[in-house]
Amino acid sequence: MELEFDRVSHRNERLAFVRRYAAWVKRVPNEEWSRQQGALIDSFIENTRNMPLTCREYLDRVADRRQDLR
Amino acid sequence: MDLRCSGNRIVVSGKYITLLDRFVMDFVRTLERETPYVVVSGFVAILFGRSRGTEDVDVLIPRLEPEDFAAVHEVLRRGGFGFLSEDDEADDLYAMLAANRAIRIARTDEFIPNIEMKFARDEVDRFVLRDRVDIELPGGSIFISPIPIQIAYNLYLGGRKDIEDALYLWEIFRDDLDSGAMNAALAQFGVRGDEYGIGI
Repeated sequence: MELEFDRVSHRNERLAFVRRYAAWVKRVPNEEWSRQQGALIDSFIENTRNMPLTCREYLDRVADRRQDLR
Repeated sequence: MDLRCSGNRIVVSGKYITLLDRFVMDFVRTLERETPYVVVSGFVAILFGRSRGTEDVDVLIPRLEPEDFAAVHEVLRRGGFGFLSEDDEADDLYAMLAANRAIRIARTDEFIPNIEMKFARDEVDRFVLRDRVDIELPGGSIFISPIPIQIAYNLYLGGRKDIEDALYLWEIFRDDLDSGAMNAALAQFGVRGDEYGIGI
């Protein structure tokens, strides 16, 4: 019961954050939200270039993730 | 956020172009020499500011004949893109697409980010291709799926990330969306957004 409560509460917190974040994006100029978002996305992409994975290993991981989702 | 929406066109001026945006813009500029396309799913929310990364971008193209796909294969290869598959010849990849499987494409010798490309498979896929929306960005443009369809589709998928993407798009576009189109999209996928405050 407690675990269920935590799950619902966690989901609602995440959804509330999405609403707050969207409200902030709508308030500020494109230059502002996109600069901050760009720092996150660019660092994510740069980091993936340092991943010690071969293409085959990457595709196997993707296939495993898809299997888990089914 | 400054969005100028008119018909099937949205202008996003002044946006910082991320490495992911640049990759997608380079890809679609090459792809559209041979075929129409539409970008769908997670990248749509990210394009409008959702604060999350992704390693793959979903793209739909019409079902092509083998010789037309061979031209797509060639233009992408010459454009600096490679196919993430052990069998990367045009006929092998065509067989995958024709079997309703996706093929992955990245810049040559890289694998992230990548495009997950499929043939349009059903009525919804054909609809989003036909009614795609042109997003004009600094330095290029990208065709994406209509926003109401994207919101309804994300609700239909129902995963945590999908619901959050749907809510985000709704919050960004709620004042610009046509209520008829939004309700029709929700009905088409048999979903309701009330639980999340989505809907008109």
